[in-house]
Amino acid sequence: MVKVLIVEDEELLLKALEFRLKKDGYEVYTAKDGLEGMELIKSQTFDLIITDIMMPYIGGLELVSNVKTNKETKDIPVIILSAIGLEKTVLEAFRLGADDFISKPFNLSELSIRVRKNIKQIL
Amino acid sequence: MSSFFFAIFQYLEELFTSRLPFFPSNIRAALFIILFCMVGFSELYLFIFLRRTEQGIRRKRDKIWSEKLTNILANIIVYGDEEDTTTIVEHFLPRLQRLPIHRLSVRKILVKEMLAYNASFTGTVGEVLRELYLRLKLDKVAKKNLNNRYWEIQIEAIRELTQMRVRDITDKLLKYSDDENGQLRMEAQAAFLKLSTTEPFRFLDRARERILDWHQLVLFEVITKTEDIEIPSFSKWLTSANDTVVMLCLKLVSHYQQLDAIPQLIQLLSHPNLLIRIAAIRILGKIEAQTAEETMLAIYFDEPVEVRIEILEALGLIASGEHMEFLRARTRSDEFKLRMSAMRSIRAHGRGGKELLNTIYSEETLQNKAIIKHVLDERIK
Repeated sequence: MVKVLIVEDEELLLKALEFRLKKDGYEVYTAKDGLEGMELIKSQTFDLIITDIMMPYIGGLELVSNVKTNKETKDIPVIILSAIGLEKTVLEAFRLGADDFISKPFNLSELSIRVRKNIKQIL
Repeated sequence: MSSFFFAIFQYLEELFTSRLPFFPSNIRAALFIILFCMVGFSELYLFIFLRRTEQGIRRKRDKIWSEKLTNILANIIVYGDEEDTTTIVEHFLPRLQRLPIHRLSVRKILVKEMLAYNASFTGTVGEVLRELYLRLKLDKVAKKNLNNRYWEIQIEAIRELTQMRVRDITDKLLKYSDDENGQLRMEAQAAFLKLSTTEPFRFLDRARERILDWHQLVLFEVITKTEDIEIPSFSKWLTSANDTVVMLCLKLVSHYQQLDAIPQLIQLLSHPNLLIRIAAIRILGKIEAQTAEETMLAIYFDEPVEVRIEILEALGLIASGEHMEFLRARTRSDEFKLRMSAMRSIRAHGRGGKELLNTIYSEETLQNKAIIKHVLDERIK
């Protein structure tokens, strides 16, 4: 089963994403901040990571940087969730190696399609 | 331990019943004050303890409700994007109706989460949440709060109803759009723009209170970013008696490049407010209103330096070439800024302007030569 990690500090959003991706047939893991996310990434392997940018402890950019500079995790696709108006930060995320981004507010069907597309590329 | 407290109690009892009458009056007064303080503190600590316990219980209860509601709403969000609105509303409505939403705390959590989801997702999700919000009559409390005597609560209610697109409150919003309270006024104006389907700019007709600079920025953002808002000709409000309305409309005329406003913009050149005159001149220059040139020249000598600079810059933007002599004469002004603007304006006239500057270069003073060199430098924009 394809394993997806969602790192998002907004509990409501996290829950909705979790439900949606579970419904799409993925094995979903969740983390409420970057630190928890990094710990999960160290302890197991994922096929895709979805992360918010603004989070406590470790932000999304740092998480992308950590994932993409690690030999073992650098091939995992990372999708960034960002609020409108953070275009510069999104560019920075792409520079660090992020594979895709979705700006909030977003359509869950769009997210679902992007997840599928990014997973297809690595399988 | 109990005997210790018993001994203290006995001592106090004896002190206040048998021995009290034998003490001098100042000691008696002191003992009463001590007794009063002890009772007071005991009550205070008891109150704090009970309140904290109650808050703790409430927090725990709210957390349980929050988790429950998050799960229900997350399901609505997930399915709401795939099924049609009516099906999903009919499916989830009975489940939500079974919840004790008559309880203020539960209602509060539900509304808060609905608003958060509504702000995070696009697509049919917003429509589903709105329909559920209305069918559950959650708007009732917010509508009631519109009349609350605290403006913070009124604003909260306006935000809630606006986000849920409850359009039958526009009359109330129109009333608040000219309220004495600046915060409430701005919130009502922004909400009116978003909710009014017929004339979203009607509040400008009756605005007597000031629209502060940052309010103008907020309104500008709402106007330019709200989808399907019908943009009128803002020239209608350029004659308003409220200067701040005129300033806001000038920004909008400029943003939407409304050429039909040129006659009103020309009229504003004689407005008593200096800032309005400056803004009007800038826009006339930006939209290259050649018909305004004569009026600008006519008022030039009666205006202060700030306005004169704007006129010279505007003549450069219009660049009709009709007033080169006027501009040439201004290069000999006493004021450095005017000379600089006049030279820049001549340069803005393309090849003709460049040639003129090259021709006059040799006749000019040292400082003017430096200005000409500066404005002819291609590297400086």
